[in-house]
Amino acid sequence: MSVAQVDDSILIAEIAEGDKKAMKALVERYKRKAFFLALGMVGNRDEALDISQEAFIRVFKSACRFDRDQKFFPWFYSIVANLCKDSLQRREKRDARAIDLDESDFLLVDDSNPEKKMMIKEQAQILQKALEQLSFEDREIIMLKHFRDLSYDEISRLLKIPKGTVMSRLYYARKKLAKLCDELA
Amino acid sequence: MSLHEEKFSILLSGYTDGELIPEEKIEFERHLKTCVQCQKEVQVFQQLKEVTGAMKYADIPEHVWENYWRGTYRRLELGIGWILFSLGAIIVLAFTCYALFMNFFLNPAEPLILRIGIGILILGTIFLLVSITRERIFAYRRDRYKEIQR
Repeated sequence: MSVAQVDDSILIAEIAEGDKKAMKALVERYKRKAFFLALGMVGNRDEALDISQEAFIRVFKSACRFDRDQKFFPWFYSIVANLCKDSLQRREKRDARAIDLDESDFLLVDDSNPEKKMMIKEQAQILQKALEQLSFEDREIIMLKHFRDLSYDEISRLLKIPKGTVMSRLYYARKKLAKLCDELA
Repeated sequence: MSLHEEKFSILLSGYTDGELIPEEKIEFERHLKTCVQCQKEVQVFQQLKEVTGAMKYADIPEHVWENYWRGTYRRLELGIGWILFSLGAIIVLAFTCYALFMNFFLNPAEPLILRIGIGILILGTIFLLVSITRERIFAYRRDRYKEIQR
């Protein structure tokens, strides 16, 4: 069996023993997921890249403490989410010192839909601004549902909250997002 | 908002995403026929889904993905390197301070004025180093163009 097919928990056990090949396999498997999750939460590509790499380093350093009965991804997700929270807190402090932020777009219109492209491009800019104004928890759940297209069960497992809570958090987050989009339009 | 209304508001999200169990769906659709507010919200949520469905996150260039593992491993090595370096530096510095204190500052054979002068000089150097390092770190974190090769 090649390293690419090995189960996550086996890879983690090998990483705990210092296996560089297993580290590489894990990174290759989850690098895009980690990056896009972070991007959804911090809205900045440089920061997202930085956070995703840091998350892997945390995994390598604490691989020996990983509970092999648990699934890897929810654990990894919590590492990424915590790093994003820290990064946003640091950004708030920087904001207080009047430092400009990266204003590049992190939301793009899907090229496969050329007819609606222009119209949706304007909406994307509004949506991006509205997302930036949401709280971390609201943005997180919107990102998981709307941009990662996860089911309620998957979100529930990832955030370790009941399915009913997913539904209610999503309801209030969407309501706030729609209101902000209206105000910004 | 009454408890009854709140229940349907929350089911609304599940309805928009097709996540309700059949009984909940029937109950919600029955409510939807008579509730104008929920009808509006379903429409808003569906529009939101449509708009976000036509969007994707901006990707990073392919060469960044190709170098991703190398970059991550380099960061890991750098991290370990810095930890070892710091540990070594702390031990050496602690010993040097101890030796300097015992053999120079507490040595009555050395002139008092020289001991005071060197003490002030060391303190000043430490203040300067800390200040410059902090400024450098702060400037580096603010630099939006650090990835650009000059």
